[in-house]
Amino acid sequence: MKVGRRLAVLLAAVAVTALALIGARANAAPAHKGSAKATTVRIWTDQDRKSSVTKVANTWAAKTGANVDIVVKAFPPTQDLSKVTAATAPDVVLAPHDTTGALAADGLVQQIFLSKAVKKQLPAWVLRSFSYGGKLYGVPTQIENVGLVVNTKLAKVPKTWAQLEREALAFKRKSSDNLGIAVQQGSGGDAYHMYPFFSGLCGYIFQQSKSGALNPHKIGVANPKFLKNASLVDKWNREGLINSKVTSGTAQTAFLGQKAAFWITGPWNSDTLKKSGLSFRIIQVPKIKCASVPFLGVQGFAVTKFASDHGVSSLAKDFVVNYLTKPSAQLDLSQASGRYPANTVAGKQVHDSVLAQFGRAGAGGVPMPNIPEMASVWGDLGGAWVNATKGSGATPARTAFITAARNIAAKIG
Amino acid sequence: MTAIDQTAAAIPAARPATKTGPRRPKLRDTWWRHVVAWIAIVVALFPVAYIASAAFTGNPSLAGSSLIPRHLTLDNFKKLFSPGNSTTDITSNASNYPHWILNTLIVATSTAFFTVMLGALAAYAFSRFRFRGRRMGMLGLLLVQMFPQMLAVVAIYLIVVHTGTVFHVLALNTLTGLIIVYLGGVMSVNVWFMKGFFDTIPAELDESARVDGASPAQVFWGVVLPLAAPVLAVIGLFSFVGVLNEFIIASVLLQSDKKLTLPVGMRGFIDQQFSQHWGPFAAGVLIAAVPVVILFMFLQRFIVEGLTAGSVKG
Amino acid sequence: MSTSAVTSPAPSRLTAASSAARSLPSRAIAFFSGPVGLGVKVTLLALMNALSVWALVVLVDHKKWPAVAVLVAVTALLDLIYLSARRAIPAKFLVPGTVFLVAFQIIPVIYTVQVAFTNYSTGHILTKPQAVTQVLQNAFEPSANGRTFTMAPAKDSSGHLALLLVDQDTGKTYVGAASGLKPLPTSAVTKNSDGDITAATGYTIPTGPSRLSLADALNTFFVPAGKSQIQPQGLDSAVEVKQTLRYDRVHDRFVRISDGAVFRDNGRGSFVSDGGEAIEPGWKTGIGFSNFGQMIHDSQVRGPFLRVFLWTVIFATLTVVFSFSLGLFLAITLNKPGMRFRTFYRSILVIPYALPGFLSLLVWQGLLNDDFGVVNRNILHTHVPWLFDANWARVAVILVSTWLTTPYFFLVSMGALQSIPAELNEAALVDGAGPWQNFRKVTLPLLLVAVAPLMIASFAFNFNNFGNIYLLTGGGPNTSDGSVAGATDILISYTYKLAFVVGKGQNYGLASAIGILIFFIVAAISAASFWRTKALENLA
Repeated sequence: MKVGRRLAVLLAAVAVTALALIGARANAAPAHKGSAKATTVRIWTDQDRKSSVTKVANTWAAKTGANVDIVVKAFPPTQDLSKVTAATAPDVVLAPHDTTGALAADGLVQQIFLSKAVKKQLPAWVLRSFSYGGKLYGVPTQIENVGLVVNTKLAKVPKTWAQLEREALAFKRKSSDNLGIAVQQGSGGDAYHMYPFFSGLCGYIFQQSKSGALNPHKIGVANPKFLKNASLVDKWNREGLINSKVTSGTAQTAFLGQKAAFWITGPWNSDTLKKSGLSFRIIQVPKIKCASVPFLGVQGFAVTKFASDHGVSSLAKDFVVNYLTKPSAQLDLSQASGRYPANTVAGKQVHDSVLAQFGRAGAGGVPMPNIPEMASVWGDLGGAWVNATKGSGATPARTAFITAARNIAAKIG
Repeated sequence: MTAIDQTAAAIPAARPATKTGPRRPKLRDTWWRHVVAWIAIVVALFPVAYIASAAFTGNPSLAGSSLIPRHLTLDNFKKLFSPGNSTTDITSNASNYPHWILNTLIVATSTAFFTVMLGALAAYAFSRFRFRGRRMGMLGLLLVQMFPQMLAVVAIYLIVVHTGTVFHVLALNTLTGLIIVYLGGVMSVNVWFMKGFFDTIPAELDESARVDGASPAQVFWGVVLPLAAPVLAVIGLFSFVGVLNEFIIASVLLQSDKKLTLPVGMRGFIDQQFSQHWGPFAAGVLIAAVPVVILFMFLQRFIVEGLTAGSVKG
Repeated sequence: MSTSAVTSPAPSRLTAASSAARSLPSRAIAFFSGPVGLGVKVTLLALMNALSVWALVVLVDHKKWPAVAVLVAVTALLDLIYLSARRAIPAKFLVPGTVFLVAFQIIPVIYTVQVAFTNYSTGHILTKPQAVTQVLQNAFEPSANGRTFTMAPAKDSSGHLALLLVDQDTGKTYVGAASGLKPLPTSAVTKNSDGDITAATGYTIPTGPSRLSLADALNTFFVPAGKSQIQPQGLDSAVEVKQTLRYDRVHDRFVRISDGAVFRDNGRGSFVSDGGEAIEPGWKTGIGFSNFGQMIHDSQVRGPFLRVFLWTVIFATLTVVFSFSLGLFLAITLNKPGMRFRTFYRSILVIPYALPGFLSLLVWQGLLNDDFGVVNRNILHTHVPWLFDANWARVAVILVSTWLTTPYFFLVSMGALQSIPAELNEAALVDGAGPWQNFRKVTLPLLLVAVAPLMIASFAFNFNNFGNIYLLTGGGPNTSDGSVAGATDILISYTYKLAFVVGKGQNYGLASAIGILIFFIVAAISAASFWRTKALENLA
């Protein structure tokens, strides 16, 4: 082998190909450090809300002349924000309100200010749900919460808890396949869907100061009032009113198959309910010992720190602060995504009766805590319900919730 | 690349099966084998039946209590291919599912091809040459795979992001970028088993070729590789299946709707906050499984006729 | 192997292979020798070099100097390896795969190790300069008078940016410039029905694309107004705010304007006041061995470690043993030459393998539901608490994992069985061994040598099989000891919970530290098994 000859061939080939590639790149590569001002706002959303966000964002874009780039992420879209680099990061992100604390602590979102005119149209608690350390980090757009769906052919719409309990148990006794109240838990637990029962027994998660700030060191999972009522859970377990083995699938199948007259679910099942052909009403769970209110989830939009890096923070803020707060935009989002609007003016214009009923079922509800410490709560609180309502062999509720409270405190540290 | 490694480990071998005569055993002697086979089939297909049931009925949940569907429907399949369906992409004019299939085929085929080629190169070196660090190298290959992948994903993401800002071909959301990352799994358990297979190909063949003046590269491409066709086919097949199952890395690297691979795209059906579209999801999974099973049937001969020559020195 | 019959190539094979080699391959050799082979090689090498040169240009463009250095070194090394005729032959074969191995396996490991020595976690994501910028950006509160304005960005006569403002409470109009806020007579302003300013004498209000071009300038624009300032919020509104924190660049500290409290860098990624109050966000920084220290000192981490470790070993071992035994049994059963339908049977048994594992897991979760699952309700007619009782959940996890892994070992065993020469079995039978003895003394040992590396790899895989646990039981049910780890949590899922569920949510630093420990454990077990099974024997 003559290395010399090879080398010559090699070098020639290198030169030609390299030139070709460099040439190709010079033609194809976009101006990387172009002087043109950035006018594209990138928005992260989830699949369910993609169409509604696209619609609203395009309307805004047409009005301002800016461009939008909608990217779909798994829910919640905020979860990748801490790993992303500026090149691919969004300027605006759809955020469930309970991620606010973590996002703010991470320094990933920008503080925003709403004008007085806008604040008047948003309930104070809704604004608080996107606030952390007294600062506002997002614009709330939609509210969602669970309600008690009653099959009016199978049971009367209950006015009191006692009536609900009676109706549910009477229906359950009709067949071994029937459920009392179809509420999803499963072995992993579901503190979210169980919250109406939790609040109804006077439980709360974190103590709230007058200003609305939550104290992660004051945990109300096993507060004295709740513990006094805890024996009711044991009674429900004995009667089979609530069964932790019911999962989301079983609950839905049972209600749609008329094996349950009562179902705890939220507006994400509006379409399913409408298509089911059943006659139903949606109400708030009647007061047990305290008001049996659901957890309130608020979805909104935040401007990320990356908007500044991309040079579009005023555009991103314009979309979020000035446009998404408008009743018309909120109504559009509401209709396209099947959630109740956060803006009260828009709320009055909701004509969808199912949505309106879910909205009323949320009255007086409790926003999910938005501080990062909430991460330590879900598993143990859900687990306490699972253990207390798993039929035979269940842990007495008092013990289950005291244990949960202790574990949560240990985890928060 | 755990999924790929796990799948890529079966070894076929060079030795053609000794074909026994056409004598067919009497059912009297083999009836129990059929019984075992049928029991195994029932256990194996039992959950699969529920997936099929979800695909062909409108059942809202998986594993609902009734297996026998009240009404059969192809709606879920139609949804996958019909434009503008509500479960995939409301605003687009076409369904993304065909894109996902195409992307997956591109990524899986390329990954399988390069995994086989590059893996075979390395395996040949381990099989035929004696050099310093050989033992440690082989043990190292296996041990590196044991690092919890969940943690490495962040780093892989960052590598691709940084490479991507400079070289757009390898950026996030490109199939090339994903393929390149998957090739990180080339040097794995695969190499062990290909090496074992090469060990069973008599070195005399190499030597005689070398005597005829062939270079090591020529011996490899000309003599060893053609003889190793079965092992190559199977490793290729398993890395192909591996791509079809890989979710974690692909979900981090791919972003836009039309660029996704099947596992990532279809996860979108069920990764929603509360609503889970099990029907179209199950239908999509079934469609994706069909080619794999056909491929298995086609390649079964290779697997059966080969042997785990790997560790049994031939 | 002790049996000499299998350690040397069977003559028939050699012959077969030789004849094969003489046909197609020898033609291939002839084809690839000489100019074609050289051409292919030179082309590939040229391509690689060309790519490098191109990459070099791009990297220089981007001023990525360390990357340039690495690229030059790697390219030079590769050229050296492939152009040296006789030396470094093994390297020629090993290099291509190794490049990818280093890039996507080794570097991630190194990165993870490095993360283990940092405080990378919720509240410590950014770099320090980013964190300082971010703190300053968010260091505002509504001013005492709480004025908010409807805004129209405009240009004054000399082309400077000015904000035309309407106080939303009083309706008074102002013009705000970089120099300050001035009242603007209402008479000079035209408003539309919504109250937005549409024209003002002395100012031009851009519309359409030219309005968009002001967005860039608005990013950092503000109007000073005494102790506070008026900040635009987007293009249509503005608020009066005042700064709450001041950054003292010289001393690298923040000062709270209201009470003069000083926040200093505490060396662990936060600005902290003397009273212990920390400013959020902090930043990512090295914290030495703290994460490893936490593993030892924190009872949340240390408490259940041994229990979880033992269960992990049991889970991984039993999964491998059961699925190997079952797979092998099925392979043997269907290995009867001439048996009807065996091809069909085999194809069917492979189907579970062709479906995504996570889907099967979710289906199993539904099937095993205590009250409503098909297994209890329609098959066993019992109430086995599959997912709600600690021990039953463990059984369920192992059963389902076995179901998932068996087809794999079925395939492997199917292939491996072919490797055992029929003559050996026949010889044993002639010696008077029963079928069971024959299996134990001849078939199994031979198989084990072939399959042991696979079993060890599978053990390691299951040891870190986060998906199986997470999707089936989520690590649950909870245990009574109140620890993070549920009854079926394995080390990796337990790490996940410690790092991403407990405390403030995400702690990559701690996760990496525990991950490294897990790696050492599984690597040690695997390496030990390798030596024990002498799987490395043929590496001699």
